[in-house]
Amino acid sequence: MTSSASPQPIIRLEGVELTLPSAAGMVNILRGIDLAVQPGESVGVVGPSGSGKSTMVMIMAGLERATKGRVTVGGADYAAMNEDELALFRRNNIGIVFQSFHLVPAMTALENVAIPLELAGERDAFERAAAELQNVGLGHRLTHYPSQMSGGEQQRVALARAFATQPKLILADEPTGNLDGANGRAVVDLLFGAQARLGTTLVLITHDAALAEHCHRVLRMEDGKIAGESAGTAQYQAAQ
Amino acid sequence: MSSFKDPASWSLAFKLARRELRGGFTGFRLMMACLALGVAAIAGIGSFSATIGESLQNDARALLGGDVELRLTHQKATVDQRAYLDKEGPVSAIATMRAMAATIGETPQRRLVELKAVDNAYPLYGEAKLDGQMTLDQALAQETRDGETIYGAVAQPDLFTLLKIQPGALVQVGEAKFVLRAQLLREPDAAGDVFKLGPSFITSEAGLTASKLEQPGSLIRYEYRVALPAGIDLAAWSKRITDAFPDAAWRIRTLDEGAPGIGQQLDRLNLFFTLIGLTALLVGGIGVANAVKSYLDGKTATIATFKCLGAPAGLIFRVYLLQIMVMALGGIAIGLLFGAVLPAAGLNAVRDGLGLDVHFGLHAQPLILAAAYGILTALTFALWPLARAREVPAAHLFRDLVSPDRVWPRAELIAATAVAALSLAALAFFTASQKNFAAWFILGAIVTLLVFRGLASVITRASRGLGHRLTGASTRLPLLNFALANLHRPGSPAGIILLSFGIGLTVFVTLMQIEGNLNAQISERLPAEAPSYFFVDIQPTQVEEFERIVSTAPGVTGHQRMPSLRARIVAIKGVEVDENNVAPEARWAVRSDRGLTYAARPPEGSKIVGGQWWAADYKGPPIISFDARVAQGMGIGVGDTLTFDILGRRITATIANLREINYQTLGLNFAIIFAPGVLEGAPQTHLSTVSAAPGADDAVREAVLSRFPNVTAINVKDALATAAEAFGKIADAARALASLALIAGVLVLAGAIAAGRRARIYDAVVLKVLGATRKNLLGAYIVEYAAIGLAASVIAGALGTLAGWLIVTQIMRAEWVFLPGTLIGTALVCTLAVVAFGFVGTWRALGQKASPILRAR
Repeated sequence: MTSSASPQPIIRLEGVELTLPSAAGMVNILRGIDLAVQPGESVGVVGPSGSGKSTMVMIMAGLERATKGRVTVGGADYAAMNEDELALFRRNNIGIVFQSFHLVPAMTALENVAIPLELAGERDAFERAAAELQNVGLGHRLTHYPSQMSGGEQQRVALARAFATQPKLILADEPTGNLDGANGRAVVDLLFGAQARLGTTLVLITHDAALAEHCHRVLRMEDGKIAGESAGTAQYQAAQ
Repeated sequence: MSSFKDPASWSLAFKLARRELRGGFTGFRLMMACLALGVAAIAGIGSFSATIGESLQNDARALLGGDVELRLTHQKATVDQRAYLDKEGPVSAIATMRAMAATIGETPQRRLVELKAVDNAYPLYGEAKLDGQMTLDQALAQETRDGETIYGAVAQPDLFTLLKIQPGALVQVGEAKFVLRAQLLREPDAAGDVFKLGPSFITSEAGLTASKLEQPGSLIRYEYRVALPAGIDLAAWSKRITDAFPDAAWRIRTLDEGAPGIGQQLDRLNLFFTLIGLTALLVGGIGVANAVKSYLDGKTATIATFKCLGAPAGLIFRVYLLQIMVMALGGIAIGLLFGAVLPAAGLNAVRDGLGLDVHFGLHAQPLILAAAYGILTALTFALWPLARAREVPAAHLFRDLVSPDRVWPRAELIAATAVAALSLAALAFFTASQKNFAAWFILGAIVTLLVFRGLASVITRASRGLGHRLTGASTRLPLLNFALANLHRPGSPAGIILLSFGIGLTVFVTLMQIEGNLNAQISERLPAEAPSYFFVDIQPTQVEEFERIVSTAPGVTGHQRMPSLRARIVAIKGVEVDENNVAPEARWAVRSDRGLTYAARPPEGSKIVGGQWWAADYKGPPIISFDARVAQGMGIGVGDTLTFDILGRRITATIANLREINYQTLGLNFAIIFAPGVLEGAPQTHLSTVSAAPGADDAVREAVLSRFPNVTAINVKDALATAAEAFGKIADAARALASLALIAGVLVLAGAIAAGRRARIYDAVVLKVLGATRKNLLGAYIVEYAAIGLAASVIAGALGTLAGWLIVTQIMRAEWVFLPGTLIGTALVCTLAVVAFGFVGTWRALGQKASPILRAR
């Protein structure tokens, strides 16, 4: 990845389209997205269900390939990379937070957080994973399995896992969607806290317009396009 | 796949795999059971066979009776020959023949015995075990009672039971009296005689001489066993003695051959059973594929998560390959454990049946072979689903895919699957003692697999088509539609049940058809035509009176009599036998002495298929009638010559005609029949068959035997029973092994049903919400499983019958009888079994409460 000091945007989508086959014929999911996100910037993405928010994030993560257009992340052109190269790129540069947490059920909290570090060949993977869990307030839950934790705790483990490799880019897809208000706030506290502390770029998909407002910029998606853009407050007041 | 070269990646894969496996073995229990079953069968058969093989090896000297054995029929070794042998080392000479032993008294009881007359040197190796304290020498010593010489003898316990006598009793054999001093518990050189018609009876040479059973032409064998100095080159020794006595008619067997009869049988049975065991393993392999697929389906989210976290596909593949192989190795280890230990249970039967002193031991080679089969099977069947799982898109985590997952594995993994499958076939082929048989098996397995795979696809399509038609018409059978939909919906177990159950059933039907056919030959068809008794060793001087007795005895419905001589084919078309290329199926005719006869008219049960039968008063150069099938194997026909060694005299005869012989009538027949005018003067005996009405047969036997103590009567029913018993034991073992293939099929079926249980429960709940009753659902399940079971049974029945027909007619060269009863019975039982197992697997769905399941969704 290019240096964060680079004037170049960390994410650049140019005329990105995605069309997928379905039983009823081809479905246009993204219809020409143009977007540039600067390093360290936080971008909130809002819009109704089916507007293409998650798909755009998948494209940014290299989990889905654009049918048309160009995707450049950290200076790397995804079109030139094969699946394994994309996996390695994600490992080194991107952290993802899901609505449904997606922890590996057979592994403890500590092991879940250690996975990306182990994949990166870090010798102190477990020490660092433990530190990340401390940061999200789960230092006492290291050996617990996902099934032994609440939804809020699981999402905090997922956050710790996403930040473990100190990625340049965090993609969060409705991170509070499955949580109640208090747990949701706790997770958002941690997310924005870590983003601010590490200077990470954040793309946050949410249905909560108020939450999106805390980002530098808010994009509104409709029918596979960016229908509008507004400036956010770029200020997040941690819940007490 | 570049990361494949990165060793660190394997260690990381191992770490991740280990963590995932902490979740337990639940998803793998059936897979492990499938592998354990097949591996146990193969390891068990191999270990059993190796144990017997080792005993044969260890006791080879005792089994052969010496380092070398020279066997002559009818004639003893000449003085020169014997002198040569005596110079080489200690020699033991024995003579063997079949004879009648009779109790002494008003109404003597008679039994056929395998008589063995031994010299003082017997046995050179090993030991004859008697009950009581007596040594063999003491037991065989002769004594005088009231001026009459009584010869010592021992016999196997069966003879004591059959004649209802105790040790110390007197019996008559031929013209001599013998005192049976002890029971013979173990005969060191007995294991080579696989087919025995009566208990062993051992006496001295003097006893045999006194019995006057040694008559010219008597069916008697003389065996000379020699103990040679250790380390001698046996092949060179054989060559030397053959050079010294080029015309000697003996057959030489050396230690290297051990007990060739039993050794070859062992090899054949080992192969036969191993291949049946392999079928169980192949069926289990389908279970492996199914279990791996189900497990990986449940891991889709985890795999996608790994990918989101940056794990390359190669790493994912390794993580799950390691997990699957750890589980597979667990199953294989359990199979090996059972396979290594279980044969101990069968050893007692071998000890008693073969008189072989076998000891249980662990044998590495069969276990390694079974493990290799297990690993290759696991790889062959697991690689494909693993390779597909490798391609799971990470996008799964964000939403359900719009298009279904129809991902083809990468080319290199398709190639790896093919290599594993080919290695499995190669292992079966190259380790087989009979390559032909193994090749046919492999071909059969592939064809069966393809047929059932094709059938699954036909059923899927047919049920889909029928379902559409039913939907179009306003049907009153909505649940029939549901049953049909279950047959073709994604994840339907129909294909897997068809494959696994179908293959197991095909093997089972094949064996049932073969067994049924052979049983029909032995116990139903033969006795209807077979004579009551064979009388052998009738001397030429006794022929006239024999004819009189037999023709006037009440109840006799027919009899045949033919002279019998022994001869060896020494040259074919003037070329020595050793230099001829004789086909395997005709080799028996040149391997050792054969019986032949001379006749003016063709015997019953033969059909002239080439040339002409001679005139009844033929006088001219030697001509013969020859077995057409053997002639074909030798590549000769009418007009060609065969040279015979008849008691040391060479006679060359021209083939005048060829006969197709049906030996199954058990009438008198010979592969070689001379025209009259050549053999009348040669030493010979006569053979006769006598058919008598039930109840009258024993009286005929008694009339002949009381008049001619030297004549031996073979009860055809007893002989058939002996053969049927031996065959029955093999058939039992084969059926037990084939059952393992069926059990593996049931395990796979259970696994397939279990894998789809959650979807089924949901379906049942939705249908119940819509108003379906439990009875409706039950009906739909029965229709679904009955359709699968019936299809599997019908095709397995057809394929099994075809395979059975091929084996019976082409390999065993026996007549084929179609056995519809066996077929229909097996098909019905199996259809019911599929319905029953299917129902047991789904009955929970019927009783599920709707609300918790609907809420959970």
